[in-house]
Amino acid sequence: MKPIDFSHPARQSSKGILVIFALNTFKFIRRFFVLFLALGLSLSKKESLSFLTTTNLTLIILGVFLLIFIVAILKYLNFKFHLDQDQFYLSSGIINKDMTIIPKSKIQNINIKQNFIQQMINVVSLTIETAGDDKAEIEINALSRATALDLKKQLFVKKQITDPDVIDEPFQSIVFFKASIKRLFLEGISQNHIKSFLIIVSFVFGLYNEFENYLQDLGISDRLQSSVNFETGSILSLILANVFIVGLAILGSMLFSIISTFISNFNLEVVENEDTIEINKGLFNKLSLILVPVKIQNIIIKTNRLKQYFGLHTLSIKQAMINKKQQRNFKIVALEKHQVAHLVQKVFVNYNGEGTFEKPDVYYIRLLVLRSLIIGAFINIPAYFIFGNYFWLINIVIISWIVLFVHFTYKKSSYQITDEYLTINNGFIDRVRNISELHKIQSVELKQSIFQKRRNIASIYVATASDKVKIPYITEEKAKSILDLLLFKIES
Amino acid sequence: MFTNQQINLDSLPSIDDVELKPISKQYLKIIVINRVFFYSLLIAALFFAKFMVVHENFHMAFWYLLSVCVFLCVLNFVGAILAFKKRKYAIREEDVIYSKGLLVNSISAVPISRIQHLEISRSWLSRRFNLATLKIFTAGESGIDLRIDGLNYAEAKQINDFLSKKVNETD
Repeated sequence: MKPIDFSHPARQSSKGILVIFALNTFKFIRRFFVLFLALGLSLSKKESLSFLTTTNLTLIILGVFLLIFIVAILKYLNFKFHLDQDQFYLSSGIINKDMTIIPKSKIQNINIKQNFIQQMINVVSLTIETAGDDKAEIEINALSRATALDLKKQLFVKKQITDPDVIDEPFQSIVFFKASIKRLFLEGISQNHIKSFLIIVSFVFGLYNEFENYLQDLGISDRLQSSVNFETGSILSLILANVFIVGLAILGSMLFSIISTFISNFNLEVVENEDTIEINKGLFNKLSLILVPVKIQNIIIKTNRLKQYFGLHTLSIKQAMINKKQQRNFKIVALEKHQVAHLVQKVFVNYNGEGTFEKPDVYYIRLLVLRSLIIGAFINIPAYFIFGNYFWLINIVIISWIVLFVHFTYKKSSYQITDEYLTINNGFIDRVRNISELHKIQSVELKQSIFQKRRNIASIYVATASDKVKIPYITEEKAKSILDLLLFKIES
Repeated sequence: MFTNQQINLDSLPSIDDVELKPISKQYLKIIVINRVFFYSLLIAALFFAKFMVVHENFHMAFWYLLSVCVFLCVLNFVGAILAFKKRKYAIREEDVIYSKGLLVNSISAVPISRIQHLEISRSWLSRRFNLATLKIFTAGESGIDLRIDGLNYAEAKQINDFLSKKVNETD
């Protein structure tokens, strides 16, 4: 295949008009949705706006659509991009002309996405991100897939090959990992279901608030009450009803976890290119993310007992200044252990995960116990109002919880500083490992409260451009020597 | 050539050896003025309420409220004055160090090579006392950005010039 020439200013695919039109319409409707609703309500109630006959209304709506369409065409016409040796140029804007120039070396990642409309007309959108802003700087809405891939490739090529005859051996792209349906299913099952449950609950509450009046009109609550109170006397039925509700909640949350895992990670694929890593995934919104290892700040590996049993590891990749929503996409789920090790090695070349890990001081246990005891004591107050005189029974649960919590949290907490990398392990149920490169550290902080000062304990906070990690509660001497060492490593 | 010699941890420049310099005494005045202003406003509001509100219960509570206010005020003043002594800074060849905090003491170090940009800001009050605040920014939103309050304006400028020169050199 002959590489496409991007050196002259070019427009995107003409289908782009359609995509821009759809996007703008969507934005327009979303912005004025409340207004429309209010208008519709006042129309149905009063006749004060009687000049709005059906024909007039249609004309107005048509006019608005036409305007949006014209804007879309103008936007399309004024949207041109091209590429030279080492910079990407984009000129845009109908009235205010913008010219954006991005040096190739500053590009942090390139995402290729395909939403529903784009899937229908078979185009993709390409976004280019740098570390400068948390928003995507450049988005090209409609490109054919081949063009997008080619553009992506050329953006990542450091120097364009001047002589077309001399094409050096192209690096074979390897599909390194492909998540099977079974693994995704297991991943979904071993998710944190409490989170899903909370999402469902908040959603239901939101809906209920919205439609409270309608529900009251329908008298559903009365009917529900009458159906629940079928035999108030028997305790058995009460227990059964409760078990049923709890079971339903658990099942619902599990289903939600599985479905959401499937939707966002459908066809998950990790491709290894010469010097980039590509993640492809998504069911409705097809995503293709390209990562440059040099720009990666740190890596977080997450697993837990259950997931470890299934051999499931989650790898999150963090870069500087990526917004929260985007951050979620740099997650690769359902990886085997050796695959994780391989990917980590791809990013952090000299990382081997070997060596001894050091543990925080015993003071950490004391602090954890103290903190959870305070929280536990506070839980007793509402418990007294709910359970009356038997409230102390709740402490049995709380204390066993605290014991487990402190035991596992301390057990999983450790750190390691090697020649080039800082690794920190923590977590209570999850096992979280955070790896960052020493020379990407931005600043170091030593923190110590007056209670810790008496016992010669201190904590170290290490900030990279994307994350801030904590080496918890070590002896003051050690903390200071770590501080000295880290500063030395960064500065030398 | 690649070398990878073992580092003797004891030979590294230690943070303990750094002589931290206290910030300008003038800045204490600014802190005091700010606090006095805040608390006098609060207490004035309380007295104002005392004369405006006719409700019985409020007059009962008034003295409690006032004493709480005064107590907080004294506590805050003592805390601020004691904590003031903890505000210290140092500029080393390769990094900037700032230490602060009475209850939770922290020592932050920002390597000069990691500084993104610098800023000197001066409020109306600090202009009166010829002081300045030096802000040092690193990359990333989670970074530990340094903010050294209460430097002499001349000194702040001097540090700023030194740091920006160094930052530009490394590029």
